[in-house]
Amino acid sequence: MTAVLSRAAPPGPRLRRNRRRWGWSLAGLALVAWSLAGSGLFPGPVVNPAGSGEVGRFLSAALRPELGAGFLAVVTEATLVTLAYAVLGAGLSVLLGALGAPLVARATWGRRRPGWRATRAALALPRGLHEAVWGLLLVNVLGLDPWVGVLAIAIPYGAITAKVFADLLDEAPRGGHDALLAAGAGRASAVLYGLLPTAAGGLLSYSFYRLECAVRSAVVLGLIGAGGLGYQLALSFSSLRWEQVWTTVYALAALCLAADVAGRAVRRRVAAPPPGGAAYRRDRVLTGAVAAVVALAVWSAWYLALTPAALFSARTAEQLGYVVSAAWPPATDGGLLATVWATALVTIQMSVLGIVFATVGAVALAPFAARPSAPAGAARRAVGVLTRLGLLLLRAVPPPVWALVLLFVLLPGVLPGALAIGVYTMGVLGRLVGEAVEEADRRPSAALRASGASAAGSRLYGTAPTLAGPVLALALYRWEVAIRDTVLVGLLGAGGIGVLLSAETSSFDWAAVTTVLTAIVLLTFLVDLVSDRARAVLR
Amino acid sequence: MRFGGTTALTGVDLEVAAGERLAVVGASGAGKSTLLGVLNGSVRPSAGEVRVLGADPAALRGRELRRLRARTGTIHQGLELPGALRVVHNVNAGRLGSWSAARAAWSLVRPQGTGEVHDVLAQVGLADRMYERTDRLSGGQRQRVALARLLLQQPELVLADEPASALDPALADLALELLGELTTAAGGALLACLHDPALALRHCDRVVGLADGRVVLDAPARTLTVPELEAFYGVTR
Repeated sequence: MTAVLSRAAPPGPRLRRNRRRWGWSLAGLALVAWSLAGSGLFPGPVVNPAGSGEVGRFLSAALRPELGAGFLAVVTEATLVTLAYAVLGAGLSVLLGALGAPLVARATWGRRRPGWRATRAALALPRGLHEAVWGLLLVNVLGLDPWVGVLAIAIPYGAITAKVFADLLDEAPRGGHDALLAAGAGRASAVLYGLLPTAAGGLLSYSFYRLECAVRSAVVLGLIGAGGLGYQLALSFSSLRWEQVWTTVYALAALCLAADVAGRAVRRRVAAPPPGGAAYRRDRVLTGAVAAVVALAVWSAWYLALTPAALFSARTAEQLGYVVSAAWPPATDGGLLATVWATALVTIQMSVLGIVFATVGAVALAPFAARPSAPAGAARRAVGVLTRLGLLLLRAVPPPVWALVLLFVLLPGVLPGALAIGVYTMGVLGRLVGEAVEEADRRPSAALRASGASAAGSRLYGTAPTLAGPVLALALYRWEVAIRDTVLVGLLGAGGIGVLLSAETSSFDWAAVTTVLTAIVLLTFLVDLVSDRARAVLR
Repeated sequence: MRFGGTTALTGVDLEVAAGERLAVVGASGAGKSTLLGVLNGSVRPSAGEVRVLGADPAALRGRELRRLRARTGTIHQGLELPGALRVVHNVNAGRLGSWSAARAAWSLVRPQGTGEVHDVLAQVGLADRMYERTDRLSGGQRQRVALARLLLQQPELVLADEPASALDPALADLALELLGELTTAAGGALLACLHDPALALRHCDRVVGLADGRVVLDAPARTLTVPELEAFYGVTR
C-alpha cells in the first residue's frame, strides 16, 4: 500500500481538456447518433428492390444522351432561359445587397447594438427561405410571369449579399478611412478613398460567386415550373426519358462548369492582380467581365420579356392583398403544430446525415481532388482531373434530382433525402476541402517526413492539425446551406417540412402556410445560430 | 546542385566526421538552408554524391529511407510546428519515426510517454507549458519546443537552421549546449547554421563559410576570431 502511495506522482502539469470544445463535440456526436437512429438505417428494409432495373436503365443512358437536332434546340433554349434568370437574379441581388449593406453594417450603427441586431434579424426572414419557396409564394401573387424567377433569386440572395457586403466592409482595415476623417475629409469621400479600395476586391469576388450560385438556383426554380433547364429536366424525368434527362444534365453541368471557371478566373484575378506599369491602365480582364455581365443582364431582360408593368399591375396588388389578409393570423391548431414539430425534426435529421456523409466523402476524396504541389506523374494528374470532374457533376445536379434518382433504389424516408443532400454537398465540400488542402502549409508534414515519420504519422501530426479546424468550419457552414436545401428536397416530395409546405400551398391554406414558413425560418435561424457558436468554439 | 532554375550550391565538397560540431556561416541566400535540405533528404541534388551516416538518401526507398531519416534530426528555420497542436504532441512528433500509425493516432487522444516529454521540456525550461496550444507560445518558446522535439528524437546527425535566432543570449547558449550534448551522447555530428559569430565560435569546433553556393571558408574555430567572422558576414561595426 505504502509502495503505491510513495510512487512518484506523474510529473508536470495535468492535461486539461477544453470543456467547451468537449461539450460541443459530445453534443455533435449525440446529434449524429440521433439522426442515424431516425434514418431507419438499422431496423427494417430501406432498399427498394423493384427500382434497381430502372436505375440500371437510367445509368446506362448516361453513355447515350439524346442528341437529335430538335431536342438539342430545345435544350439550348432552356439553357439560355436559365442563364437569363441567373444573371438577372444575381444582378438584382448585388444591387439590393449594395443598397442594404450600409443599413446592416456594424460601422453604421456604432455603439447602438440593438438597432444593428434588429436590422440583422430582419434579414433572417428573406435569407431563411429557399429560392424555391420564394418562387412558390411569388407565383401565387404574380402569376406565371418571368419576374417570379428573377425575384425568387434576388430576394434571398439580396439579403445574403447585404449581410456579406456589410461584413466585408466591417472587416476591411479602417486605418486609411480613419486617417482621412482625421485629416478633415467628408464621410462619403473617406469611405470612397479609405474603405472601398480595400474592400473592393472582396465585394467583386463575392458578386461573381453569387452569379455562380444563381445558375444552380435558376435550375432548381425550373424544377418548380419557372422554365429553363430545370423544367426540361422535370419533364423528361416524369416521362422516364432517360436519354433526354442526361442531355439536360450534361447541359446543366456544362453551364455550371462555365460559371464556375469564369467566376474562379475573376476571383483569382482579384486576389492576384497583374503588376501595374507606370501608365494608368484598367485591368482588362476585370473590366471585360463586369461589362460582359452588364450586357448579359440587358439581353436577359429582353430575352425574358421582362416589363416593370407586371410588378405594379392592379391584379398583382389585389392578389397580394388577398394572400396577405388570408395568411394572417397564422393557424395554430394542435394537429398542425404537432405535424410541424415532427417534420421539423425529420428535416434536421436529414440535413445532419447529409452533412456527415458529405464531409466524410469530401475528406476521403480531398487528397485526390487537390492539385499536387510538386510536379506529378500523368496517372496522378488524370486521377485529379477525374475526381474534380466527378465532384463537379455531383454539384451540378441539384439535390431534388438526386432525390428523384435515389427514390428508385431506396424506400421513401429520411435516407433518400439525406443522401440527396449528401451527394450534392459532397460535390461542393469536396472542392472546398481540396482547395483547403492545396492552400494548407505543407512544411510541417514535409519536416516530419524528413525526420523519418511514416505517411500516416506525418498526416496525423503535420497535415491534420492544420486542416481539421477549417474543414469542420466548412462542414458547419454547409450545414446552414443544407438545411435550406433539405426544405427544397421536401418540397419535391422526399420528406420533412418541405412536404408539408408543398401540401399547404397547393391547397391554398394561407394561414397554415404562414405557420409552416415561420417554423422554417425559425429552423434555419436555429441551425445558423448553432453552427455559428460551434465555429466560434472551434476557432 | 541546381535548384529551381537557380544554382543554390556548386562544387561543395564537405566531409563531416563523427563528433564534429560544425557551424555553417554565410550571408542570407548563400545556400545554407539548401545544404541542410540536401543532408536530410528533402532536397535532391541534381549532380554529385551525398552520403549521410554512411548511406545515400537518394538510393534508399520506403522503410530503409525512413530508418535513415529517423537518425537525422532537423530544426527548420520556420520551425514547421502546427499551431493547433498542443506542445506535448509537437514534441511527441519526434518519435513518429518509431511509432506505429495507431499509436500516433491514439496519442493525439491520450498523450503517450508524457514522462519523457516532460523531461525534455524541463531541459529547455518549458515544462509548465506542456499542454498549451503551440500557437499560444512566443517565437522563442516555439523554438525551444522544436529543440525539445529533437531531444526526444535522439538523432545521430543534428541539422539546425538558426536554432537560436529568437532566443536571448543565455537561452541561445543553453540551446547550443543541449544540441552539442545530444550529438556527443549519440556519437554523431552537429551542423548548425548560425548568424551570430560569437555563438558559432563558442559552441562549434569547425566553421564552414558559404558564399553564392560555394565553400569559401573551412577552418577550425580556434584559429578564428569574432571580428574575422563578422568581416566575413560583411558586418561593419
